[in-house]
Amino acid sequence: MTPYTNEYLRSLVRDDRVHRSIYTDPQIFELEMEKIFSRVWLYVGHDSQIPNPGDFYCTWVARQPVVMTRDLDGKVHVLFNRCGHRGARVLNEECGNARVFTCMYHGWSFRPNGELSGVPMRRDFQEATLKDPQSGMARLPRTENYRGFVFTSLNPGVPPLREYLGEAQCGIDELIDRSPEGEIEFWAGCHRYEYNGNWKLQFDNMADMYHPPACHASTVGPDGRQFSRRPGNRGASAPFFATNGEPIVAQTGVRGFSNGHSSEASLFREEQTGGIWDDYRALMVQRYGEERTADILKNRRHSMALFPSVDILIAQTSVRVIRPISVDKTEVQVYPVRLKGAPPEISIEIVRFVNITHAAASLIQSDDLEAFERGQQGLMASGTDWVLVARGFGQESDEGNGALFGDRSSEVGQRAQHYAWRDLMSAA
Amino acid sequence: MSSARFVIKPESLVEPRLALADLQQFVEHEVALLDEQRFEEWLNLFADDGAYWVPAKPGQESPFNHVSLFYDDKHTLTIRVQRLRHPAIHSQIPRSKTVRLVANFKLESHDADPSLYRVISKFVMLEDRPGSARRLFGGRYTHVLRRKSGGLEIVLKRVDLTNCDRSFPALTQPF
Repeated sequence: MTPYTNEYLRSLVRDDRVHRSIYTDPQIFELEMEKIFSRVWLYVGHDSQIPNPGDFYCTWVARQPVVMTRDLDGKVHVLFNRCGHRGARVLNEECGNARVFTCMYHGWSFRPNGELSGVPMRRDFQEATLKDPQSGMARLPRTENYRGFVFTSLNPGVPPLREYLGEAQCGIDELIDRSPEGEIEFWAGCHRYEYNGNWKLQFDNMADMYHPPACHASTVGPDGRQFSRRPGNRGASAPFFATNGEPIVAQTGVRGFSNGHSSEASLFREEQTGGIWDDYRALMVQRYGEERTADILKNRRHSMALFPSVDILIAQTSVRVIRPISVDKTEVQVYPVRLKGAPPEISIEIVRFVNITHAAASLIQSDDLEAFERGQQGLMASGTDWVLVARGFGQESDEGNGALFGDRSSEVGQRAQHYAWRDLMSAA
Repeated sequence: MSSARFVIKPESLVEPRLALADLQQFVEHEVALLDEQRFEEWLNLFADDGAYWVPAKPGQESPFNHVSLFYDDKHTLTIRVQRLRHPAIHSQIPRSKTVRLVANFKLESHDADPSLYRVISKFVMLEDRPGSARRLFGGRYTHVLRRKSGGLEIVLKRVDLTNCDRSFPALTQPF
């Protein structure tokens, strides 16, 4: 295979369109693993998934097996889930607890910080070999924890996480601020869905306010209201059409940020009220005061996608993680989140609603998955090589600090993702 | 004649408990409705306080502190059925065809409420949709059924899939 030049890769993303091969070419997928996924910050997990010393949570980044651990001293580490001896995956369950992690193959064992602990018949190895950090479960070069969100990078020279997230970091804050204690917890497992399509189809969708009227037509009742997407009275279900006949969701704005992050403005116009929602509001006012509470509960932002691995679903109080498997296969996990200090019924209602919105059997997500698979199939057609991300092109407002706002379901979010893709893929 | 000959014993006013065969027939009818996509009639088998639950974790104890593949009260189940009939449900254009086999029926010990029956069975389901790979599902059904005039209603249908904790493609068919 001829290697692609940086100039060629740059040419695959134009101002308002991208080349279809970025979704379909296995060689480009391999390059993405190297030039994007091995160079930037990737979300691993939330530290509430490993609350106790010895807890571990296994996952994959850039197709490499990793494990997030809590050491006996309370520190969080991200290790390669790989035995220092002959390279087997050490931990084979998704989560658990152990003071030492023992490899099944020859019995080597490791501390939760990755240091080699026990070696059967140790004296037949040279000590220098065993003392080498490579004989342990090596740590990833960089790990940072922002308010419980643990990110890692395979690139030792990556700029600090705050710099990479930039303006988009507020997406994490906006989720956590919904807790009267300023803390969230991953407590209820996760949904797992998959589709035969490229990971960028999911990312494109996470900045897409244009698709719901057509794609999710089956969720709109004859009264013109979409069924309730979140619990509560007022503020639970959204009318679908504005007085001028346009779908409200498609009138909503989108933002693109530096480094490929993007956000959608909120679908909901009103605070949730009724019963426990009023109790919750009172608790929020106790912590934040009336003005700030009103601001937080306005739900200005529906979601914030942090390129290339995680989506903060602010309005739906959950976190979505995107895992590329191959050029045309992607797995996604969606974690409902518990708001610490809020009435427990609220967190239970969130679990019930995320079942409806993001399960594999979701009344909404299943049509998105259909769109992704039809997308992957359609992109095999050679009639045209270009995929448009042209909606609202040239009509963006510059909000400064790399943030661009595009009203009326602009595709400015997708453009931000693809421009970041282009910069990373064509870098030296 | 002595009036004692016409004393009605209280026991004869109580309906006899249903046999396993009756409950089996009910469940077989229920899955036949699903096979035939007669979703409205299927929905009507559920009590107003009924629920349809497919856990996402083996042995899941509660639908309230862990995600589920499906946890529908009757209201949500009604919306789900309405959506399955919507002309623009893209994930079912074209539609799937399904067949379910159900066997190994067992009646578990009666609840404290004598009007309830808990029936366990095993099932296997095939789903085929043009353009997609064939899908195979299987596991255990738990039906909690309540006597009502004219028959039975479903208080809970719980489906424990053998692979409930894997990742799934889009699912549209109730199991």
